[in-house]
Amino acid sequence: MNLIPFRTKRTSGIDAGNMATLADFRNEMNRLFEGFFSRPLMMPTWFEQAEPGQWMPAIDMSEDESKICVRAELPGMGPDDVDVSVSEDRLVITGEKKTESATGGNGWAHRESHHGSFTRAIPLPEAVDPSQVTARYDKGVLTVELTKSPTAASRKVPVQMGG
Amino acid sequence: MTLSLTTTAPEAEVARRQTPGEPTLTYQPHVDVCDTGSGLTIRADIPGASADSIDVAFEDGVLAVHAKVPARNLPARVLRQEYGIGDYRRSFRLGEGFDGAGISAEYRRGVLSIDVPRLAAVRPRKVAVRVANA
Repeated sequence: MNLIPFRTKRTSGIDAGNMATLADFRNEMNRLFEGFFSRPLMMPTWFEQAEPGQWMPAIDMSEDESKICVRAELPGMGPDDVDVSVSEDRLVITGEKKTESATGGNGWAHRESHHGSFTRAIPLPEAVDPSQVTARYDKGVLTVELTKSPTAASRKVPVQMGG
Repeated sequence: MTLSLTTTAPEAEVARRQTPGEPTLTYQPHVDVCDTGSGLTIRADIPGASADSIDVAFEDGVLAVHAKVPARNLPARVLRQEYGIGDYRRSFRLGEGFDGAGISAEYRRGVLSIDVPRLAAVRPRKVAVRVANA
């Protein structure tokens, strides 16, 4: 800012504010780029955002030694409305929440719930065995249990010592 | 499903919330409200509750919903937690003209549906127009 000599102290004060905003912006950009590579796990990451016109269910993910458990809040689904597919490193939950038609009267006075199709692709922290997956839907919560793949577990490589 | 016509006493509420091991957070469920003419249908997203832990109360024109959701037992390590587990609570001021005794509620697949009928006196009525034979 020293390169602009005609500015008064007052305006440079405002500029300092702008610089703070700019620093925030830079930090935010850094955070996004770091997120891209390190996948922060407590929030849906920016590349996981729902497509326009779609929504994304909130999830929980937890693990123990042998299993990964993913839960998704999906109230009001029918038995054929949810699809779960698993590859080695990814769990994809897709489906559609059917819009119930308003019957008679003045129709919907107020709507807050999610409707329409949704997709959620969840990167898994470890490789899983796609043949050993169970999915259960109960009281509006989808629970998917995945078994970690033992073959994909990291292998300890002994270091051979030369003479 | 219990349909009580009184609201929970606040003192009892405080006592319950101090019980260790119970969720202490309260969430507002998302709701859809549909005016059917003969009444209102309110649908609230309450995933994870059970029908006997949901209270629906109607008093002085206020419809109150309270649902207890049991805490989840998660295995060792939590990797993501995008939604909280706690009780759901929400109330609606409906005003006059609704039939408290006729309210019915149903819980299915995580969605609570409440039907609130209007009193017969205030329901929209279609009036047949007769042809006068002049």
